[in-house]
Amino acid sequence: MHRTIARIRSVIPALVATALIVASPASAEAQGNAPWDRVDPAQELLDGATPRAESIQIDLPSVTQDGSSVPLSIEVDHPMRSDDYIEALYVFATRNPSPEVVEYHFTPLAGKARISTRVRLNESQTVFALARTSRGAWLAGTREIRVTVSGCIAQGNAEKGPDFMQTRVRAASRARPGEPLDVRTLINHPMETGLREDSNGNAIPERIVHSFRAEINGETVLTARFHRAVSANPYLLFYIAPGQSGPLHLTWEEDTGETATATAEIPAA
Amino acid sequence: MTRMPMNRRQALKRMGTVGAGSLLAGAGVPLFAGSRTDRVVVVGGGFGGATAAKYLKRLAPGLNVTLVEPAKRYYTCPFTNLYLGGMREFESLGHDYRELSDRYDVRVLHAFAQDVDVEGRRLQLENGSTLRWDRLILSPGIDFRWGDLEGYDKRAPEQAPHAWKAGPQTKLLRKQLVAMEDGGTFILVAPDNPFRCPPGPYERVSMIANYFKKNKPRSKILLLDAKDTFSKQGLFEEGWRTHYGDMIEWVGRSADGRVVRVDPELLEVETEFGTVHKASVLNVVPPQKAGAIAHRAGVADDSGWVPIDPHTFRARRAEGVYVLGDATQAAPMPKSGFVANTQAKVAARAVIADLAGEPAPEPSWANTCYSVIAPEWGITVANVYEVHEGTLREVPGSGGVSPLDADAAFRSREAAYAEAWYAAITQDIWGTRPA
Amino acid sequence: MRRILLIGGAVIAVASLFGTLGAGGSAPEDATGDAEAERFAERIRGIAMSCAACHGTEARAETAIPRLAGQPEAVVRAQLLAFKADQMPGATVMPRLARGYTNEELAGLARYFSQLDPQFEPEADTR
Repeated sequence: MHRTIARIRSVIPALVATALIVASPASAEAQGNAPWDRVDPAQELLDGATPRAESIQIDLPSVTQDGSSVPLSIEVDHPMRSDDYIEALYVFATRNPSPEVVEYHFTPLAGKARISTRVRLNESQTVFALARTSRGAWLAGTREIRVTVSGCIAQGNAEKGPDFMQTRVRAASRARPGEPLDVRTLINHPMETGLREDSNGNAIPERIVHSFRAEINGETVLTARFHRAVSANPYLLFYIAPGQSGPLHLTWEEDTGETATATAEIPAA
Repeated sequence: MTRMPMNRRQALKRMGTVGAGSLLAGAGVPLFAGSRTDRVVVVGGGFGGATAAKYLKRLAPGLNVTLVEPAKRYYTCPFTNLYLGGMREFESLGHDYRELSDRYDVRVLHAFAQDVDVEGRRLQLENGSTLRWDRLILSPGIDFRWGDLEGYDKRAPEQAPHAWKAGPQTKLLRKQLVAMEDGGTFILVAPDNPFRCPPGPYERVSMIANYFKKNKPRSKILLLDAKDTFSKQGLFEEGWRTHYGDMIEWVGRSADGRVVRVDPELLEVETEFGTVHKASVLNVVPPQKAGAIAHRAGVADDSGWVPIDPHTFRARRAEGVYVLGDATQAAPMPKSGFVANTQAKVAARAVIADLAGEPAPEPSWANTCYSVIAPEWGITVANVYEVHEGTLREVPGSGGVSPLDADAAFRSREAAYAEAWYAAITQDIWGTRPA
Repeated sequence: MRRILLIGGAVIAVASLFGTLGAGGSAPEDATGDAEAERFAERIRGIAMSCAACHGTEARAETAIPRLAGQPEAVVRAQLLAFKADQMPGATVMPRLARGYTNEELAGLARYFSQLDPQFEPEADTR
């Protein structure tokens, strides 16, 4: 744990000066200077396309003292109709050891392209999201965050405990007519990054939950790919479109191939 | 906005400030009082505001300093947990403003600050009067985000106290604990960061366990937390095991500890994943934001806290307004009384320099948070802070928490120093004589 | 009382370790100009204000935490440097705090505290 802090500390000085205000998206785009222009995996995804910097709202605290678990919510303001919906949402952190944070693949059954989760942010940086519509258009959004190291706030590193791979799910009990229903999920898992050492100084190998799937009546609502920047005990809040009811099946898969499941009953509206 | 440039000596003399040359001889004791008076109004008589008022006058006796604080006697949040644990009398937490008014000639107004006109440099009081200021210092502490936690509204603390501001709420919680039957369950609901006094909830359950152990040994303590980690966690858990066995159960966020609904009538709480817990005594520490006057002054941002210039603690969003203590965004400094005290000294010096048209002196801050887990068992976290490339940080290599493997003698020393710290800081702020 | 004596006992041992520092010190006012000396003095005064949060105003409070006002400069300097070097048996928070300051600052603090009158009456502070 102390090792991790020391490592995080060592990279901070170079970055503190990171400007808190980026150029406005439009001008950044024009200059080829947007954060997605500097991140290779984002460039591969875009494959030459230029995203419109609009419609994505990223909620992050402006300052956090615990980079190991930063609450993140993203909403894409876009229809979720069968002929035009958000089919994918990718999240990147420009100054993490690897920039990929998490990705989500929605179907119209999700009702809205909005999620909440918790992520690891190594240092002060730009977080950005890219969304692809079913018609092939790209949208983008950015947000700055300052990460400080505080001796007063413990930095979390969950260990593999007796509740390993235990899952939790809760769907909202009262569906509001015509509104998507929120579903909260959690799996207990340390999400070992492979960047940490144990108390004897030996590297702890990477071991993460890498995928998540939610299905209702055999149809996919959402799948997710978790990278190591998803915080320990991955938490995910997502939505289900109105009019859907029945058992919601959730499956998490670890990179060992081990899976865990959970089921929730989605009430009729 | 710009002041007439003035000779430094003249400007400092005007405020009666001691010159640096006399520092070594007079050890910082001002030698003369000034004639023309700049007006500094300080709002809030707690750890930040009372310190600021005193140090303004120590450093510049000629300044006209007014302190606006509703309470005639101020009760500190620090050490309320010792009162709850039966280790201290409530009255020992009270401090008055006599030293400030009588020895330091601070005009102490027991009134409620209602609004700030930043442009017109006026502070409006609830009693209808208005104070003009040349510089304003706000040290308003925290307010609660009523409505963020379903069911915990402004009436709820009458049944389920927060006891996160010292006073009647603290006494109510103590009364409920004393009335509770042996074998009951005390539940404390702890918020996510940032909040006032990061180790506070954990010290509180320690002290309540101390009370239960002696008086109601079959009782249980459940701490439901919106976080997965907390301040001095290893030290608290070690102390809990050592002194209280399994009396205290801590449930972190990922074990479904985050409370999303409170029923203050039934003393029930419901967690994120739907577990309902029933309490005999329920203590809810609600989500927080900067005190109301900071919002009225327009200095808080959408986080609910006040962004400050780290060199001076001047509010980024207003001219001539300085903000201290829990209300500020001063990470990585915690929202502690100790930090507010050192921030106030930095701000007092910056205000004096500002009025003289001088650059602010180089700032320096420190923090030591003592927590008492049991009689003779104290733990600490300590840090020194600096500005580095425009932001606050812990001085590299400094700071840290008490060692985990320390012996009982070490813990006992830190417990004794906790008491000594309280005596010293309340002397430094309110002039209370150490007992 | 026991604690003060304990720390006092440690100081004697440590003071001899740091004996060479007793005479010269390293206050920069000898070597540099007035402005620099003034700046340093201001800095020391600022740091000393932080110390007051545990040691009382002008470090005059008399509690289990030692009073620093009027203490011999060489002793306090040796103590502070020993805290910083983690060579103070039984020390609690002071090593963690002392590491936040340079040796020059710690020496400056020792000098500053030594020149305060421990009996100074607060009533006289402002009049």
